[in-house]
Amino acid sequence: MSDEIDITKLETPEILELIQDDLYDGLADETVLSVNELLKRDLTPYDVLTKGLVAGMEIVGSDFRDGILFVPEVLMAAKAMKAGMKILRPLLIETGAPQMGTLVIGTVKGDIHDIGKNLVAMMMEGAGFNVINLGINTDVDAFLEAIREHNPDIVGMSAMLTTTMPYMGVVIEALKEQNLRDQVIVLVGGAPLNDAFAEEIGADAYCRDAAVGVETAKKLLAIKRGQPN
Amino acid sequence: MPSGRKGRVLKGTNLLQAAQDLGVELESICGGRQTCGKCQIIVEDGNFPKHGIASHPNHLSPQSALELEYNQEHELDGRRLACAAEVLGDVLITVPEESQAHKQVIAKAATQRIIEVDPAVRQVYVEVQPPTLGDPRGDWERLTTALETQWGLTGLTIDTKTLPALQSALREGDFNLTVTIWQETEVLRLQPGYKEGLYGLAIDVGSTTVVAHLCDLRTGEVLSTQSAMNPQVRFGEDLMSRVSYANSDPQGLARMNRVIIQTLNELADKAAADVNLTSQDITDVVIVGNTVMHHILLGINPTQLGVAPFALATYSPLDIKARDIGMNLNPASRVHILPLIAGHVGADNVGVMLAESPQDQEQISLIVDIGTNAEIILGDRKQVLVASSPTGPAFEGAQITHGQRAAPGAIERVRINPDTLEPRFRVIGYRDWIDPQAGDSIPITVKATGICGSGIIEAVAEMFLAGIINSKGHFAPSAADRSRRVQFNGPTAEYVLVDEQLSASGSPIVITQNDVRAIQLAKAALYAGSKLLMDHRGVDHISRVVLAGAFGTFINPFHAMVLGLIPDCELENVNAVGNAAGDGARLALLNHHLRLKAAQLARSANYVETPLETSFQEEFVAALNIPHASHPFPHLAGSLPEEVPEESKRERRNRIRMKYKTTD
Repeated sequence: MSDEIDITKLETPEILELIQDDLYDGLADETVLSVNELLKRDLTPYDVLTKGLVAGMEIVGSDFRDGILFVPEVLMAAKAMKAGMKILRPLLIETGAPQMGTLVIGTVKGDIHDIGKNLVAMMMEGAGFNVINLGINTDVDAFLEAIREHNPDIVGMSAMLTTTMPYMGVVIEALKEQNLRDQVIVLVGGAPLNDAFAEEIGADAYCRDAAVGVETAKKLLAIKRGQPN
Repeated sequence: MPSGRKGRVLKGTNLLQAAQDLGVELESICGGRQTCGKCQIIVEDGNFPKHGIASHPNHLSPQSALELEYNQEHELDGRRLACAAEVLGDVLITVPEESQAHKQVIAKAATQRIIEVDPAVRQVYVEVQPPTLGDPRGDWERLTTALETQWGLTGLTIDTKTLPALQSALREGDFNLTVTIWQETEVLRLQPGYKEGLYGLAIDVGSTTVVAHLCDLRTGEVLSTQSAMNPQVRFGEDLMSRVSYANSDPQGLARMNRVIIQTLNELADKAAADVNLTSQDITDVVIVGNTVMHHILLGINPTQLGVAPFALATYSPLDIKARDIGMNLNPASRVHILPLIAGHVGADNVGVMLAESPQDQEQISLIVDIGTNAEIILGDRKQVLVASSPTGPAFEGAQITHGQRAAPGAIERVRINPDTLEPRFRVIGYRDWIDPQAGDSIPITVKATGICGSGIIEAVAEMFLAGIINSKGHFAPSAADRSRRVQFNGPTAEYVLVDEQLSASGSPIVITQNDVRAIQLAKAALYAGSKLLMDHRGVDHISRVVLAGAFGTFINPFHAMVLGLIPDCELENVNAVGNAAGDGARLALLNHHLRLKAAQLARSANYVETPLETSFQEEFVAALNIPHASHPFPHLAGSLPEEVPEESKRERRNRIRMKYKTTD
């Protein structure tokens, strides 16, 4: 049905609203149409990103946190977001739009659980972050190399087993040794973790789920950049 | 047994009272008069990082005069009477099995199966030449001659612990002996005169429950079945936390090894005593267990099993002496341990394969053993595949708001009227369905304490069938209009399964949106694992589903399929087989050829590391829906509800589009 609609006749605020709803329903093609239409109007790529896509993913994130949306819907939303970002990314670079931030994320060595970490990666992309996903079974060297190469604001680590989560502490110790610890915010997550564990190994925060991960990343990054709230 | 309950009490609180307040029922006949000795408990000594406390016997008040008096008459052996102790500081308390008021419910009845009894041990009666002055041979040499001439047995050895008994046994029996021989090679036992009676023990060491079947090795009959909680639970609820404990505490492995061996010895003693035997009469044992239990039992540090690539110390079957692992049976008694398959697929699964024999069938079987990890076996005559899927502890009641283990008081079955949304349920320990609508009057003892795994599966499936949640697992706002039991709390919702009047705690027992999500995640992991194995085998449907393990016994096949826990299949071909791992151990005990078969099965099974499969994420996500996002369930045709359309958001978008259309 959406194919038949001529969105050029909608008001700009209505299209922004439409993007948010289309993201919510995981409609990639419709999202792309709206992004292209908005770019034809007065909006900067940065405005399309923040007022359309990121605002839409915020609703997705909060409903995910509340249990209203679940993993399949969030993945669909993230895919729609990604389709929109494909158009926006080169334009954002071209126009020198402010960067939201860069995240390096991986499941730690000894652990091969992928899905939860991928969900976090997608939600972070949805929030406008540049995400480097190192995959599973990531050792210290891989983390260090990625940090040197991409100079991220945030390092995210995931573990699903009580036996593999201590490796997060190993990575943090290595960051300290390499004098990289103060450059990055370290966020950790995974089923067996909790706040106390995060504190014990010297991470900046434990994030219960992907939605909390995004919120925490934004909050800590703002503080780091000296612009709390 | 540790119940996993914890809490804070006022300093000086009586321990029996404190236990009761925390919902741990201790046996007590005298009612706290420090005389019956039923409420004995063990105070653990040391640091327990899992619980974040340091426990010490001094943290209980000193023994009272009455308790000391009791101790003089009946050896307490370091235990305390809970009714005589006041809590003065942090303590970790272990409640021995015999002190529990409500014993755990375990499916333990061994199934009757037809197998040829051909054990690894046998008894032969021989008449030995008495020594003479002209015959310089030793008694052993004259016994070997007798065995050769009377039974054709050659090349035998004798266990070093059996040899010292030879001379007295010979003379006591007037040089007539009953000899127990293992695999036609080694003499294990010497009994004076003619004796009948050959006994073995089949043991399944589960991470939660340990089951032992004492079998008559001549008839194949199960004489006694004994079970106990795995005492390692106190060191870590699930397997990985036990691996962590072995890794982090220098004494961890030794402690876990000691308590499990002690439990095996107790079970052997109990089973033997049950039929007027002693553990001395047990000469052969077969043990199965998952990989971590297997390693700990053998005193092997399981650390490597906790991290990829999950390297096993060995996956071969083992033939050892019971005494080598500290079992107090007949001194020469043998132990056979079935082989392992891979880092997460152990001898218990080999036992399941032996018992269910998918490899002998034309049609495709799917066998699932559900625990914290679900092990999946799929195959037929052509190929058998195995995998382990991380379902997490939700099916054991963990991560569920009012979840609990299967114990008296737990809701195990649920029905919801699709019109009124009123529930009926069954509570473990009470035989009748409880129908609150009908105003059933029930004794106070059957008030519900929580929901166990089978209860939550039925509850979520019934909620779906009644339209309380949709196929995405989301509470339908419309359901709140239909019943007071569906309550929206801001954006999130819950279903009130049990009102406060029927709840032991006095507050309602509910199923929340997050509980539904936890069950969806767990069942999707299992379904995705099964689907990947089906893909590997190149089939799109299965002929038979076998639910193995104690938990499987309590799952209703219909509800399991509605939930999408298992793939579509003819409902009558979905069967629970109980403790198939234990049955497999029993088969290998009764027929030694099956040990060879087990070794072949273990090596020929194809292990699939599901999380590494490229399609795992896709399959997992699609399986989150109830029953599934895309797979049809023809065998549920007519049973599944019409999908309730999602409103709000889609409506809002359509409103905007409609506005355009009308102005066009």
